Amino acid sequence: MNDAPETGPPPRKVRSPGWHAIVIGASIMVVVILAALFAPLIAPHDPYAQSMLARFRPPSAEYWLGSDRFGRDTFSRILYGLRITLWTALASTVMAMVTGTAAGILSGYHGGRVDRWISAANDVLMSFPQMVAGIIIVALLGPGVTNLIIAIAITTFPAFYRMARSAALALRERDYIDACRVLGYSDLRIVSRHILPETMDDMIVIATLWLATAVRTESSLAFIGLGAPPPAATLGGLVREGFDNLLDFPGLAIWPSLAILVVMIGLNLMGDGLRDANDPRTSA
Amino acid sequence: MLLTVDALRVIYPIKRGWPVPGTHRLTAVDGVGFSVDTGEALGIVGESGCGKSTVARAILRLVEPSAGKVVFAGVDIARLPLRRMRHLRPKLQMIFQDPAASLSPRMRIGAALAEAIRVHDIAKGNAINDLVRNALDEVGLPPNSVDRYPHEFSGGQKQRIGIARALVLSPDLIIADEPVSALDVSVQAQILNLMARLKAERGIAFVFISHDLGVVRHFCERTSVMYLGQVIESGATRAIFDAPAHPYTRLLRSVSPVPDPERTAAPLVFEGEPPSPLDPPGGCRFHPRCPFVTGVCRTTMPDLRPVAARQVACHHAESLPANEDAP
Amino acid sequence: MSVLDVDNLRTTLNLNGRACHVLRDVSFRVAEGETLAIVGESGCGKSMLAMSIMGLLPSVARITQGHVVLDGHALEKEPERAMEKIRGARIGMVFQEPMTALNPVFTVGAQISEPLRDHLGLSRRDAREAAIELMEKVRIPSAASRYTSYPHEFSGGMRQRVVIALAIACGPRLLIADEPTTALDVTVQRQLLDLLDHLQDEGRMGMLLITHNLAIVAGHADRVVVMYGGDVVESATVRDLFRNPAHPYARALLASLPRVDRDLSELASIPGRVPPLAGLPDGCRFKDRCPHAMDICEQMPPPTEMPGEAGHNVRCWLHVEGGEHAADG
Repeated sequence: MNDAPETGPPPRKVRSPGWHAIVIGASIMVVVILAALFAPLIAPHDPYAQSMLARFRPPSAEYWLGSDRFGRDTFSRILYGLRITLWTALASTVMAMVTGTAAGILSGYHGGRVDRWISAANDVLMSFPQMVAGIIIVALLGPGVTNLIIAIAITTFPAFYRMARSAALALRERDYIDACRVLGYSDLRIVSRHILPETMDDMIVIATLWLATAVRTESSLAFIGLGAPPPAATLGGLVREGFDNLLDFPGLAIWPSLAILVVMIGLNLMGDGLRDANDPRTSA
Repeated sequence: MLLTVDALRVIYPIKRGWPVPGTHRLTAVDGVGFSVDTGEALGIVGESGCGKSTVARAILRLVEPSAGKVVFAGVDIARLPLRRMRHLRPKLQMIFQDPAASLSPRMRIGAALAEAIRVHDIAKGNAINDLVRNALDEVGLPPNSVDRYPHEFSGGQKQRIGIARALVLSPDLIIADEPVSALDVSVQAQILNLMARLKAERGIAFVFISHDLGVVRHFCERTSVMYLGQVIESGATRAIFDAPAHPYTRLLRSVSPVPDPERTAAPLVFEGEPPSPLDPPGGCRFHPRCPFVTGVCRTTMPDLRPVAARQVACHHAESLPANEDAP
Repeated sequence: MSVLDVDNLRTTLNLNGRACHVLRDVSFRVAEGETLAIVGESGCGKSMLAMSIMGLLPSVARITQGHVVLDGHALEKEPERAMEKIRGARIGMVFQEPMTALNPVFTVGAQISEPLRDHLGLSRRDAREAAIELMEKVRIPSAASRYTSYPHEFSGGMRQRVVIALAIACGPRLLIADEPTTALDVTVQRQLLDLLDHLQDEGRMGMLLITHNLAIVAGHADRVVVMYGGDVVESATVRDLFRNPAHPYARALLASLPRVDRDLSELASIPGRVPPLAGLPDGCRFKDRCPHAMDICEQMPPPTEMPGEAGHNVRCWLHVEGGEHAADG
C-alpha cells in the first residue's frame, strides 16, 4: 500500500520563450540606469550652467551633442533628464501597482458592495483617456515632480486594479482557497499568503510594460508644459525646448527623443519577454 | 452523535433571462437531514446536480445555509459567526475531488502542513516538524516530501498530501467530496484503504460524497441517496444496495456497472434525464421518471418515513414489486 | 472476417532525440459486430493506440513497425487526405468530451448533415431528412424540432448522442469510442452504452471501446485487451479475463475494484505508479510494480504467450515454459 516516490522532479525547462527579449531589454535598461545613476560623474558639464558664449553649438568634442539656446550642454541635460524621467516612471508605477493590486484583490476576494463601489470608481477613472486624465489631475494638483508622479499613478491604477481583481476572482473559486478556509485561516492570511503571491508574476509583468507607458505619459505631459517645471531637465521637457528651434537646430529635439525611444524599447522588450516567459500557454 | 444535519436548505440566487436577467432562486438543497457518529462513514450518493456537493460545502460554511441546523460536537455551526467557526475548523476537515487544485501551487509541502499547525497553535518549534513528518509517514509519503512542491507529485500522492494536511489538525470528522473519482483504479484502491485505516485506527468519522456506488459500498456503513436536493432513501449501505426500496435507488443500483460478465444487467426500463433543479417537478420529484407513478405522486411530496429498516421517501415503498436483480 | 486488424504495431515518440516506443508490438483484431475493449489506466498508451489507428498522431510520434488494416486495406501508409475521408466515412469516432467534436456556432442538424452531403453526396433536403432520422435513431426526443438547436442547448448526454449520430452517419465499418461515458452520470452512461450496443448490432460494426472502467467492460464488450506501459499485457474474451486473469497487472487491477453487489474486506492495490512515457523500462514494463518480478523481466521484454484457452494471450515471463507454477502466490 505504498505509493513509491517519484524518481525526481520533472526536467526543468532550460530557457523560457522570452529569454532573448529579456536579456536584450535588461541590458539596455542596465546601461540607461547606470547612465542616470552616475550622471554627475559622466556628464561633462553642469546641466543647468548657462553660457551666453556657447549658444547653439553643434556637436563637438566639448559639447558631444551640442548646446541649447542658453549654452547648456545637451548631453548632460539628457543624462540628468533621464534621472527625473526614470524616477517619475518608477515611483508612479510602483505606487499604482501597490494601490491597484491591494484594491483589486480586496474587490475580487471580498466581492459584494465593496467590489461594486471600487469598481464603479475605477470605471469613472477608466472612462477618461489616459492623457486627458493626466492633464486634468496635474492641472488640479499643480505642477511639480511629486504631483506628476501622483497623476501618472492615478492614470495607471486601473490597469493593475483590473488585473488583480480578475485574478482574485478566479482564485477565489479555486479549491485551494476553499481548502484554506476549511483549515481555518483568516481572510488576511488567505489574501497575503495564498492569493497575493499567485498574482505577483502577472503584476510584475504588467508593471514592466506600464513603466514604458509611464515614461511616455511623463514625456507627453512635459511636452505640453505640464511636466516638471524649468529649469529641471526631463526627457519630455527637453524635446519641448528643442521644438522651439526645430527647423534651425533639429538635434535639440531629436537627441532627447532618441533617448526616450531607447528607454521605451528596453522596457518593452523586457516586459514582452517576461510576459511570454510567464504565459502558462508557453511555459510548462 | 458527532454531526447532526437537520432540515438543511441552501438557496442560490441566480441571474437568468434575456435581455433583462431576472433573479431566480435555485434550491440546491431542500430539507436534508442525516447524522454521523464517531468512527463511522456516511455515504451521500446521487447524480450531478442532486446537491450532494452543496451539502458538503454548506456544512463547512463554504456556502451559507439558508435554513436548518448543522450540529457538530454539540454546537449549531450553521449560524455561528465565521470568526468563531474558525476555532472549530481543525476538528472538521475536508478532502477535495481534485487533489492538484486543493494545494497552494507555490508552497512546499512541509510549509503547507506547518502553516495549518501554526495557525491553530497546535505545536511549536521542532514539534511542528515532527508532527508534519508523522502525518506524511502515516499517509505513506517519504520524509523528503516536505521540500517538494505539489506539481512534483502524482495524483494519488497529492491526494495523500491533502489527507496529511487534514490529519495534522487531528480532525474528528472529514468530509470527502469525491476523493477518489479523479484517480486511476489501482490508486483509488490505495487511497480508499488509507482512509479505511484512518477510520478504524483513529476513529475519524467521514461524510463520503460520491457518484460511485461501488466505492460507497466498500467504504460506508450507512448511505443517504439524494435526488434533486432531497434525501430519498437512507439507511445501512448493505441493505440499501442489496434491496433498494425507492424507485430511484433501484434505478441507480441497476445502472451501476458490476465487474462481472456472468451477471447480465437487467434491461433498462427508465428513460430520460434528471430535470433541472431550477424548475423541479411538483409532488414527488422523481415522478416524471418513475415507472410506478400514481396520482398521489404528482400532487403530494412524500416524506422520509421508516420502511423495511430504513428511511424512504416514496408513497408506495411497501407495495412496489420486489427487486428483480437483487442477489 | 475482421474489420480491423492491428498487427505488431509499434509507435515511437521522439523526445528530444530519444526514441521511446510508446506502443510496443501491439496486435489484436476486431471482428464484424464485435466489441473489443481496450482497458488500462492513464498513461498505458490507449489514447496513443486510438490516434495511431486513426492517423491522428502528434508530429513527434510515428508508426515505426507493423500494420493497421481496416477491411483488408492497410492504413498506416495512407496520405493524410485519404485518411480524412476514411475517418469521416469508414471509421466513426466518439470521444469523452462531446464539445470537442461539435462546433458551438453551428446547429446540430447542420453538423450531422455535413458528412452526409460531403461523403454520401446527398442533396440538402435529403441530408436534412437523413439527419433527422439519425437523431431519432440515437433517441434524441423530438428530433425534428431539435434539428435547429445549438450544442449548448443540449445536456451532456444529449450532446454525446449527437456525436454518436455524427459518428454513424455514413455507416462506418468501425466505431472507436474513447471513454465515451466517462464525463457522464451512471444513468446516462447506461443509456448511451445500451444505445451503442444496439447501433452496433444493427449495423454490424466493429467497435473499439477504449476505457479505464473495467466494470462497463464486463457488461458491454465481447473481448478485452489490457494495456500497460504501451504493451498489450493480456487479451482474452471478457469471460476469460474476469474468470482467469493471467497477467499480474490484470489480476491486481481486477482485485482493486470495489463492487456494488458484494462486500469486500480490503481492496488490492498496486504499489508505485504508472511509469512516465519518457521513462518506460526496457524489459517488462510492469516489473517495478510486480510482486513476481524475476531477473529475466529486467533484461528482455516478455514474448506473447497463450497459457490456456485459445485466444487468451498473455505477455509475461511467468507464462513462458513452465513458469506457470510460479504464477500463483
